[in-house]
Amino acid sequence: MQLGEFEYLMLTAVARLGDAAYGVAIRQEIEAATGRPCSLGALYTTIDRLETKGLIRTSMGDPTPQRGGRPKRMVRITSKGEQAASAFYEAVMRVSRGVAWASTR
Amino acid sequence: MMTRVCWLLVETVSRLLDQSERDVVRGDLAECGVRPGRALREVAGLVIRRQVALWADWRPWLAIASIVIPIGVLLSHASRWWGIITGVDVANYWVLWDFSYLAYPGYRNDVIRTAVWLGAAWCALAGWSWTSGFVVGRLSRRTLWLTVSLFALVVFAGTLGTGTVVHRAPNPPLQYHLILVVFPRLARTFLVILPMALGALRGSQRPVLPLGATVFGVLLLAGASVLVSQGLENSIVFGRGLAPPDPGPDGFVVSADDPRPWWPLSFVMMWPAAYVLAVAGRRGWRGKSAHA
Repeated sequence: MQLGEFEYLMLTAVARLGDAAYGVAIRQEIEAATGRPCSLGALYTTIDRLETKGLIRTSMGDPTPQRGGRPKRMVRITSKGEQAASAFYEAVMRVSRGVAWASTR
Repeated sequence: MMTRVCWLLVETVSRLLDQSERDVVRGDLAECGVRPGRALREVAGLVIRRQVALWADWRPWLAIASIVIPIGVLLSHASRWWGIITGVDVANYWVLWDFSYLAYPGYRNDVIRTAVWLGAAWCALAGWSWTSGFVVGRLSRRTLWLTVSLFALVVFAGTLGTGTVVHRAPNPPLQYHLILVVFPRLARTFLVILPMALGALRGSQRPVLPLGATVFGVLLLAGASVLVSQGLENSIVFGRGLAPPDPGPDGFVVSADDPRPWWPLSFVMMWPAAYVLAVAGRRGWRGKSAHA
Protein backbone atom coordinates (compact mmCIF):
# COMPACT_ATOMS: atom_id res chain seq x y z
CA MET A 1 0.00 0.00 0.00
CA GLN A 2 1.52 3.33 -1.11
CA LEU A 3 1.49 6.07 1.53
CA GLY A 4 2.14 9.77 1.32
CA GLU A 5 4.19 11.66 3.90
CA PHE A 6 1.15 13.25 5.54
CA GLU A 7 -0.66 9.92 5.60
CA TYR A 8 2.30 8.35 7.37
CA LEU A 9 2.41 11.18 9.90
CA MET A 10 -1.28 10.68 10.61
CA LEU A 11 -1.01 6.90 11.00
CA THR A 12 1.88 7.39 13.40
CA ALA A 13 -0.02 10.00 15.42
CA VAL A 14 -3.08 7.73 15.59
CA ALA A 15 -0.98 4.75 16.68
CA ARG A 16 0.78 6.82 19.36
CA LEU A 17 -2.47 8.27 20.74
CA GLY A 18 -4.22 4.89 20.88
CA ASP A 19 -7.75 5.17 22.34
CA ALA A 20 -7.38 8.96 22.65
CA ALA A 21 -6.98 9.53 18.90
CA TYR A 22 -9.49 12.03 17.53
CA GLY A 23 -9.39 15.19 15.37
CA VAL A 24 -7.94 17.77 17.77
CA ALA A 25 -5.46 15.37 19.42
CA ILE A 26 -4.16 14.07 16.07
CA ARG A 27 -3.77 17.58 14.79
CA GLN A 28 -1.78 18.68 17.89
CA GLU A 29 0.42 15.59 17.61
CA ILE A 30 1.23 16.30 13.95
CA GLU A 31 1.85 20.02 14.58
CA ALA A 32 4.15 19.23 17.51
CA ALA A 33 6.10 16.69 15.44
CA THR A 34 6.49 18.74 12.28
CA GLY A 35 6.36 22.32 13.60
CA ARG A 36 3.94 23.13 10.77
CA PRO A 37 0.27 24.04 11.05
CA CYS A 38 -2.18 21.32 10.10
CA SER A 39 -5.47 22.54 8.68
CA LEU A 40 -8.84 20.96 9.39
CA GLY A 41 -9.29 20.44 5.66
CA ALA A 42 -6.08 18.43 5.32
CA LEU A 43 -6.84 16.52 8.52
CA TYR A 44 -10.35 15.34 7.69
CA THR A 45 -9.85 14.68 3.98
CA THR A 46 -6.80 12.55 4.87
CA ILE A 47 -8.77 10.71 7.55
CA ASP A 48 -11.44 9.92 4.94
CA ARG A 49 -8.83 8.77 2.41
CA LEU A 50 -7.11 6.49 4.93
CA GLU A 51 -10.47 5.05 5.98
CA THR A 52 -11.35 4.34 2.33
CA LYS A 53 -8.01 2.51 1.98
CA GLY A 54 -8.89 0.46 5.07
CA LEU A 55 -5.87 1.73 7.04
CA ILE A 56 -7.94 3.29 9.85
CA ARG A 57 -11.45 2.95 11.28
CA THR A 58 -13.47 5.86 12.63
CA SER A 59 -16.45 6.10 14.96
CA MET A 60 -18.38 8.87 16.66
CA GLY A 61 -17.46 9.47 20.31
CA ASP A 62 -19.67 10.84 23.06
CA PRO A 63 -20.42 14.58 23.17
CA THR A 64 -18.48 16.55 25.80
CA PRO A 65 -19.28 19.93 27.45
CA GLN A 66 -15.92 21.45 26.42
CA ARG A 67 -16.91 20.81 22.79
CA GLY A 68 -20.26 22.51 23.22
CA GLY A 69 -22.03 19.16 23.46
CA ARG A 70 -20.72 17.98 20.11
CA PRO A 71 -19.17 14.55 19.46
CA LYS A 72 -15.58 13.63 18.58
CA ARG A 73 -14.63 11.55 15.58
CA MET A 74 -12.53 8.78 17.13
CA VAL A 75 -9.86 7.11 14.99
CA ARG A 76 -8.24 3.66 15.33
CA ILE A 77 -5.45 2.24 13.22
CA THR A 78 -6.13 -1.16 11.60
CA SER A 79 -3.62 -3.99 11.21
CA LYS A 80 -3.43 -3.11 7.51
CA GLY A 81 -2.62 0.46 8.54
CA GLU A 82 0.16 -0.75 10.86
CA GLN A 83 1.65 -2.82 8.04
CA ALA A 84 1.53 0.13 5.62
CA ALA A 85 3.12 2.51 8.15
CA SER A 86 5.80 -0.05 9.00
CA ALA A 87 6.61 -0.57 5.31
CA PHE A 88 6.83 3.20 4.77
CA TYR A 89 9.17 3.57 7.77
CA GLU A 90 11.39 0.72 6.57
CA ALA A 91 11.61 2.30 3.12
CA VAL A 92 12.59 5.67 4.59
CA MET A 93 15.22 4.04 6.81
CA ARG A 94 16.66 2.04 3.91
CA VAL A 95 16.83 4.96 1.54
CA SER A 96 18.36 7.21 4.23
CA ARG A 97 21.19 4.88 5.11
CA GLY A 98 24.56 6.54 4.58
CA VAL A 99 23.32 10.03 3.78
CA ALA A 100 24.77 12.98 5.70
CA TRP A 101 21.68 14.02 7.64
CA ALA A 102 20.95 10.42 8.71
CA SER A 103 24.50 9.53 9.80
CA THR A 104 24.85 12.61 12.04
CA ARG A 105 22.00 11.39 14.30
CA MET B 1 -19.70 43.00 15.88
CA MET B 2 -17.05 41.61 13.49
CA THR B 3 -16.70 38.55 15.73
CA ARG B 4 -20.42 37.89 15.57
CA VAL B 5 -20.45 38.31 11.79
CA CYS B 6 -17.48 35.96 11.50
CA TRP B 7 -19.15 33.25 13.61
CA LEU B 8 -22.32 33.70 11.59
CA LEU B 9 -20.27 33.11 8.44
CA VAL B 10 -18.65 30.03 10.02
CA GLU B 11 -22.13 28.74 10.83
CA THR B 12 -23.36 29.43 7.28
CA VAL B 13 -20.33 27.97 5.48
CA SER B 14 -20.29 24.88 7.69
CA ARG B 15 -23.85 24.10 6.52
CA LEU B 16 -22.29 22.90 3.28
CA LEU B 17 -20.78 19.99 5.23
CA ASP B 18 -22.67 16.81 6.11
CA GLN B 19 -24.51 17.02 9.43
CA SER B 20 -22.18 14.59 11.26
CA GLU B 21 -19.00 16.24 9.97
CA ARG B 22 -20.38 19.70 10.77
CA ASP B 23 -20.93 18.70 14.39
CA VAL B 24 -17.45 17.20 14.70
CA VAL B 25 -15.75 20.22 13.11
CA ARG B 26 -17.61 22.75 15.22
CA GLY B 27 -16.81 20.67 18.28
CA ASP B 28 -13.11 20.75 17.34
CA LEU B 29 -13.23 24.53 16.90
CA ALA B 30 -14.96 24.97 20.26
CA GLU B 31 -12.43 22.72 22.01
CA CYS B 32 -9.43 24.52 20.48
CA GLY B 33 -10.90 27.96 21.24
CA VAL B 34 -9.72 29.33 17.90
CA ARG B 35 -10.42 32.91 16.87
CA PRO B 36 -13.36 33.48 14.53
CA GLY B 37 -11.18 34.57 11.58
CA ARG B 38 -9.11 31.40 11.75
CA ALA B 39 -12.23 29.29 12.30
CA LEU B 40 -13.70 30.73 9.12
CA ARG B 41 -10.51 29.97 7.16
CA GLU B 42 -10.40 26.41 8.52
CA VAL B 43 -14.05 25.65 7.76
CA ALA B 44 -13.91 27.29 4.31
CA GLY B 45 -10.77 25.28 3.51
CA LEU B 46 -12.50 22.03 4.44
CA VAL B 47 -15.64 22.93 2.48
CA ILE B 48 -13.58 23.76 -0.63
CA ARG B 49 -11.67 20.47 -0.38
CA ARG B 50 -14.96 18.58 0.01
CA GLN B 51 -16.55 20.36 -2.98
CA VAL B 52 -13.51 19.77 -5.18
CA ALA B 53 -13.58 16.08 -4.23
CA LEU B 54 -17.27 15.86 -5.22
CA TRP B 55 -16.46 17.18 -8.69
CA ALA B 56 -13.97 14.36 -9.22
CA ASP B 57 -17.05 12.20 -9.80
CA TRP B 58 -18.46 11.98 -13.37
CA ARG B 59 -22.14 12.44 -12.46
CA PRO B 60 -22.18 16.21 -11.77
CA TRP B 61 -20.37 16.71 -15.09
CA LEU B 62 -22.95 14.57 -16.87
CA ALA B 63 -25.70 16.71 -15.30
CA ILE B 64 -24.01 19.86 -16.62
CA ALA B 65 -23.31 18.45 -20.09
CA SER B 66 -26.72 16.86 -20.62
CA ILE B 67 -29.11 19.20 -18.77
CA VAL B 68 -27.68 22.43 -17.37
CA ILE B 69 -26.13 23.76 -20.58
CA PRO B 70 -28.24 22.38 -23.48
CA ILE B 71 -31.67 22.46 -21.83
CA GLY B 72 -30.79 25.58 -19.82
CA VAL B 73 -30.06 27.51 -23.04
CA LEU B 74 -33.26 26.25 -24.72
CA LEU B 75 -35.32 27.15 -21.66
CA SER B 76 -33.65 30.55 -21.60
CA HIS B 77 -34.83 31.27 -25.15
CA ALA B 78 -38.26 29.68 -24.74
CA SER B 79 -38.95 31.56 -21.49
CA ARG B 80 -37.95 34.90 -23.01
CA TRP B 81 -40.00 34.36 -26.15
CA TRP B 82 -43.07 33.06 -24.34
CA GLY B 83 -42.72 35.70 -21.62
CA ILE B 84 -42.89 38.34 -24.35
CA ILE B 85 -45.85 36.62 -26.04
CA THR B 86 -47.65 36.39 -22.67
CA GLY B 87 -46.94 40.07 -22.08
CA VAL B 88 -48.26 41.04 -25.52
CA ASP B 89 -51.44 38.98 -25.08
CA VAL B 90 -52.04 40.25 -21.55
CA ALA B 91 -51.49 43.87 -22.69
CA ASN B 92 -53.81 43.44 -25.69
CA TYR B 93 -56.65 41.91 -23.70
CA TRP B 94 -56.11 44.42 -20.85
CA VAL B 95 -56.54 47.36 -23.21
CA LEU B 96 -59.17 45.92 -25.55
CA TRP B 97 -61.18 43.63 -23.28
CA ASP B 98 -64.94 43.93 -23.47
CA PHE B 99 -67.30 41.16 -22.33
CA SER B 100 -69.74 42.02 -25.10
CA TYR B 101 -67.14 40.85 -27.66
CA LEU B 102 -67.61 37.29 -26.40
CA ALA B 103 -70.91 37.23 -28.27
CA TYR B 104 -68.88 36.98 -31.49
CA PRO B 105 -67.77 33.37 -32.21
CA GLY B 106 -64.55 34.52 -33.88
CA TYR B 107 -63.47 36.58 -30.85
CA ARG B 108 -64.52 33.81 -28.46
CA ASN B 109 -62.48 31.24 -30.37
CA ASP B 110 -59.53 33.59 -30.39
CA VAL B 111 -59.71 34.00 -26.60
CA ILE B 112 -59.97 30.23 -26.12
CA ARG B 113 -57.09 29.54 -28.53
CA THR B 114 -54.88 32.10 -26.79
CA ALA B 115 -55.71 30.75 -23.33
CA VAL B 116 -55.05 27.14 -24.38
CA TRP B 117 -51.77 28.05 -26.07
CA LEU B 118 -50.53 30.11 -23.12
CA GLY B 119 -51.61 27.39 -20.68
CA ALA B 120 -49.73 24.79 -22.75
CA ALA B 121 -46.64 27.01 -22.95
CA TRP B 122 -46.57 27.60 -19.18
CA CYS B 123 -47.24 23.92 -18.52
CA ALA B 124 -44.42 22.93 -20.91
CA LEU B 125 -41.94 25.39 -19.37
CA ALA B 126 -42.73 24.28 -15.81
CA GLY B 127 -42.81 20.60 -16.79
CA TRP B 128 -39.54 20.63 -18.73
CA SER B 129 -37.91 22.54 -15.87
CA TRP B 130 -39.21 20.25 -13.10
CA THR B 131 -38.19 17.07 -14.92
CA SER B 132 -34.77 18.56 -15.77
CA GLY B 133 -34.33 19.45 -12.10
CA PHE B 134 -35.34 15.93 -11.10
CA VAL B 135 -32.61 14.41 -13.29
CA VAL B 136 -30.03 16.91 -11.96
CA GLY B 137 -31.07 16.04 -8.40
CA ARG B 138 -30.62 12.33 -9.09
CA LEU B 139 -27.26 12.78 -10.80
CA SER B 140 -25.61 15.33 -8.53
CA ARG B 141 -27.26 15.21 -5.13
CA ARG B 142 -24.22 16.50 -3.23
CA THR B 143 -23.35 19.26 -5.66
CA LEU B 144 -26.95 20.38 -5.98
CA TRP B 145 -26.62 23.99 -4.80
CA LEU B 146 -23.84 24.68 -7.30
CA THR B 147 -25.52 22.87 -10.19
CA VAL B 148 -28.86 24.62 -9.62
CA SER B 149 -27.08 28.00 -9.34
CA LEU B 150 -25.28 27.30 -12.62
CA PHE B 151 -28.58 26.35 -14.24
CA ALA B 152 -30.15 29.65 -13.06
CA LEU B 153 -27.14 31.52 -14.48
CA VAL B 154 -27.50 29.76 -17.85
CA VAL B 155 -31.24 30.50 -17.95
CA PHE B 156 -30.77 34.20 -17.20
CA ALA B 157 -27.62 34.69 -19.28
CA GLY B 158 -28.41 32.26 -22.12
CA THR B 159 -29.93 34.97 -24.30
CA LEU B 160 -27.25 37.61 -23.69
CA GLY B 161 -26.08 39.14 -26.92
CA THR B 162 -29.16 37.98 -28.81
CA GLY B 163 -32.35 39.84 -29.58
CA THR B 164 -35.84 39.03 -30.72
CA VAL B 165 -37.84 40.54 -33.56
CA VAL B 166 -39.73 42.48 -30.89
CA HIS B 167 -36.49 43.89 -29.46
CA ARG B 168 -35.40 44.98 -32.91
CA ALA B 169 -38.34 47.35 -33.27
CA PRO B 170 -36.96 50.92 -33.35
CA ASN B 171 -37.77 53.03 -30.26
CA PRO B 172 -40.33 50.75 -28.62
CA PRO B 173 -42.87 52.58 -26.43
CA LEU B 174 -42.08 52.82 -22.72
CA GLN B 175 -44.84 50.45 -21.63
CA TYR B 176 -43.23 47.74 -23.74
CA HIS B 177 -40.45 47.58 -21.13
CA LEU B 178 -42.99 45.63 -19.07
CA ILE B 179 -43.51 43.20 -21.93
CA LEU B 180 -39.89 42.91 -23.05
CA VAL B 181 -38.19 42.76 -19.66
CA VAL B 182 -40.60 42.10 -16.80
CA PHE B 183 -42.69 39.26 -18.26
CA PRO B 184 -39.65 37.23 -19.45
CA ARG B 185 -38.08 37.63 -15.99
CA LEU B 186 -41.29 36.50 -14.31
CA ALA B 187 -41.50 33.52 -16.66
CA ARG B 188 -37.89 32.57 -15.96
CA THR B 189 -38.25 32.90 -12.21
CA PHE B 190 -41.61 31.23 -11.64
CA LEU B 191 -41.89 28.83 -14.60
CA VAL B 192 -38.25 27.76 -14.96
CA ILE B 193 -35.98 28.34 -11.95
CA LEU B 194 -38.55 27.61 -9.23
CA PRO B 195 -39.87 24.34 -10.77
CA MET B 196 -36.30 23.30 -11.59
CA ALA B 197 -35.16 23.85 -7.98
CA LEU B 198 -38.21 21.96 -6.65
CA GLY B 199 -37.59 19.11 -9.09
CA ALA B 200 -33.90 19.00 -8.10
CA LEU B 201 -34.83 18.84 -4.42
CA ARG B 202 -37.32 16.05 -5.10
CA GLY B 203 -34.87 14.12 -7.28
CA SER B 204 -32.13 14.38 -4.65
CA GLN B 205 -34.40 12.71 -2.10
CA ARG B 206 -34.67 9.65 -4.39
CA PRO B 207 -38.43 9.38 -3.90
CA VAL B 208 -40.80 6.60 -4.93
CA LEU B 209 -42.89 8.19 -7.69
CA PRO B 210 -46.48 7.02 -8.07
CA LEU B 211 -46.61 5.37 -11.50
CA GLY B 212 -50.16 6.45 -12.44
CA ALA B 213 -49.64 10.12 -11.59
CA THR B 214 -46.23 10.12 -13.31
CA VAL B 215 -47.67 8.65 -16.53
CA PHE B 216 -50.48 11.23 -16.45
CA GLY B 217 -48.01 14.09 -15.88
CA VAL B 218 -45.67 12.95 -18.66
CA LEU B 219 -48.58 12.54 -21.11
CA LEU B 220 -49.80 16.03 -20.21
CA LEU B 221 -46.30 17.40 -20.77
CA ALA B 222 -45.98 15.54 -24.09
CA GLY B 223 -49.30 17.03 -25.25
CA ALA B 224 -48.21 20.52 -24.22
CA SER B 225 -44.83 19.99 -25.95
CA VAL B 226 -46.55 19.07 -29.23
CA LEU B 227 -48.83 22.12 -28.98
CA VAL B 228 -45.96 24.54 -28.40
CA SER B 229 -43.25 22.88 -30.52
CA GLN B 230 -43.53 25.60 -33.16
CA GLY B 231 -43.21 28.25 -30.45
CA LEU B 232 -40.03 26.61 -29.20
CA GLU B 233 -38.67 26.61 -32.75
CA ASN B 234 -39.55 30.28 -33.14
CA SER B 235 -37.82 31.18 -29.86
CA ILE B 236 -34.58 29.75 -31.27
CA VAL B 237 -34.94 30.97 -34.87
CA PHE B 238 -35.96 34.52 -33.95
CA GLY B 239 -34.02 34.68 -30.66
CA ARG B 240 -30.67 33.00 -31.27
CA GLY B 241 -30.75 33.58 -34.99
CA LEU B 242 -29.31 30.15 -35.72
CA ALA B 243 -31.41 29.86 -38.87
CA PRO B 244 -33.04 32.62 -40.88
CA PRO B 245 -36.85 32.61 -40.73
CA ASP B 246 -38.14 30.68 -43.73
CA PRO B 247 -41.70 31.61 -44.72
CA GLY B 248 -42.23 28.60 -46.96
CA PRO B 249 -44.31 28.63 -50.18
CA ASP B 250 -47.05 30.91 -48.81
CA GLY B 251 -44.61 33.74 -48.12
CA PHE B 252 -45.76 34.22 -44.47
CA VAL B 253 -43.43 33.52 -41.59
CA VAL B 254 -44.90 31.38 -38.74
CA SER B 255 -47.60 29.71 -40.81
CA ALA B 256 -48.48 26.07 -41.37
CA ASP B 257 -46.21 25.53 -44.39
CA ASP B 258 -42.99 26.85 -42.80
CA PRO B 259 -40.19 24.31 -42.83
CA ARG B 260 -39.56 23.06 -39.28
CA PRO B 261 -35.85 22.29 -38.99
CA TRP B 262 -35.91 22.75 -35.21
CA TRP B 263 -39.04 20.85 -34.23
CA PRO B 264 -37.03 17.84 -32.90
CA LEU B 265 -35.93 20.21 -30.09
CA SER B 266 -39.21 19.30 -28.38
CA PHE B 267 -37.92 15.73 -28.11
CA VAL B 268 -34.71 17.03 -26.53
CA MET B 269 -36.82 18.83 -23.94
CA MET B 270 -38.77 15.63 -23.25
CA TRP B 271 -35.87 13.31 -22.42
CA PRO B 272 -35.79 14.25 -18.72
CA ALA B 273 -39.52 13.41 -18.60
CA ALA B 274 -38.75 10.03 -20.18
CA TYR B 275 -36.12 9.51 -17.44
CA VAL B 276 -38.66 10.39 -14.73
CA LEU B 277 -41.09 7.91 -16.29
CA ALA B 278 -38.39 5.23 -16.39
CA VAL B 279 -37.59 5.82 -12.69
CA ALA B 280 -41.27 5.54 -11.74
CA GLY B 281 -41.75 2.50 -13.98
CA ARG B 282 -38.72 0.68 -12.60
CA ARG B 283 -39.84 1.25 -9.00
CA GLY B 284 -43.36 0.12 -9.90
CA TRP B 285 -42.05 -3.00 -11.63
CA ARG B 286 -39.75 -3.80 -8.70
CA GLY B 287 -42.66 -3.37 -6.29
CA LYS B 288 -44.79 -5.83 -8.31
CA SER B 289 -41.90 -8.32 -8.48
CA ALA B 290 -41.47 -8.09 -4.70
CA HIS B 291 -45.20 -8.76 -4.17
CA ALA B 292 -45.11 -11.71 -6.58
